[in-house]
Amino acid sequence: MMQLVAGLVSGWLLLCGNLSAMEHITLDTDDTSIDIRVFPAEGERLLLGFPCDEGKSVAEENTARSLANDGIEVWMPDMLSAYMLPKLRSSLHQIPGEDLGHIIEAALKTGKQVYLIAGGPDTELILRAAEQWEKTHPDTLAGAVLLYPRLYKNSPEPGQAPEYLEVVGKTKLPIFVLEGERTPNRWSVDHLQQALAQGGSPVQVKVIPSVRGYFYNRRDANRSEEVVTSQLAGLIKVSLFYLSQEQMHE
Amino acid sequence: MNKSVAILLVFLSLFSSSLFAELHSVEPPVAAPALSLPDTDGTLHNLEDYRGQVVLVQFWATYCPPCIKEMPSMNRMQTKLADTPFKILAVNMGETLPEVKAFLEKVKPEFTILMDETGHTIADWKVYGAPSNFIIGPEGKVRYTLFGGVEWDDDKLIAQLKALAN
Repeated sequence: MMQLVAGLVSGWLLLCGNLSAMEHITLDTDDTSIDIRVFPAEGERLLLGFPCDEGKSVAEENTARSLANDGIEVWMPDMLSAYMLPKLRSSLHQIPGEDLGHIIEAALKTGKQVYLIAGGPDTELILRAAEQWEKTHPDTLAGAVLLYPRLYKNSPEPGQAPEYLEVVGKTKLPIFVLEGERTPNRWSVDHLQQALAQGGSPVQVKVIPSVRGYFYNRRDANRSEEVVTSQLAGLIKVSLFYLSQEQMHE
Repeated sequence: MNKSVAILLVFLSLFSSSLFAELHSVEPPVAAPALSLPDTDGTLHNLEDYRGQVVLVQFWATYCPPCIKEMPSMNRMQTKLADTPFKILAVNMGETLPEVKAFLEKVKPEFTILMDETGHTIADWKVYGAPSNFIIGPEGKVRYTLFGGVEWDDDKLIAQLKALAN
């Protein structure tokens, strides 16, 4: 049970030119306190991301500032630090679904349309959050953006259709998938699209030319990956636009 | 001291298992999907033409680090199997000829590289990751599969392939 949404802990930490400020809010749950980096904006949309990065991401923060400048508020809860978990894929399973729900609840209280976003294996977290939230609050979330989702249960056996994590295909949330062209996962993205849609989600996929998976988190980024990372906010805005079109069709 | 040795042995066994992963037996063996693709010189290769040989069909890409790492061991594997009816057909996954040729200049594989620029065989063969490997028996059926990079010149693997050829 959520105790309270605590106020501002510190704000206006980093200003760069006309870029938006970052604030921190703390969400207290029964088990822990979750630090949330907030990039405030006046617009009607709020992007709730779950970067399991121990609060260290750089590309995500730059993207968040750019989105906030364009009126899209961004929240980035630091889930790993909240539970003192290492940056391992197995850590995702130890993050309680209830607390993900508390964060969604707090985001919805702003009155904005809330979209979820995550990249790589962390996409499991937002699918789990969406599934659990929808059970008691159907049709309250606006959609989800999955950046290069990595949702196989095991390594894909040659000649056999892949098995996905249990959370795949369990939500009705409109989903937009962005996948790199230069990754083997590009060849399975249509299969994943079908699997995600099994729960009733309208799923759209866009393959980004000339970039690999994890394109905005690479130390060996090539020119295409650098350019796409610098324009990631634009890609996300396009994704949100198409997700909003799905809502209009419903 | 004993504890250190035990830890070292566990580490070595984990390390070894990743390098020398075992082939997964396909039971019962299934007919291999069709495969007819040009090599980097434009010569068409048809899997059917290699009936009677053991064929390693591998799906790989230049952006796949394990694929790159294991290629030298595939060269050595081919040398070790020189007296065995054996062929490697390494299918590139959807890249362009200039991209692949630039890569081959550096890595210098000594086996046949096939081009599938549209990626149509990837779906036919149900490939969802790289490298994905299929061992085709002399009768044209898939006998083993293996996902991920390995040291292909491992003696155990070589023995398995020789046994399959005979």
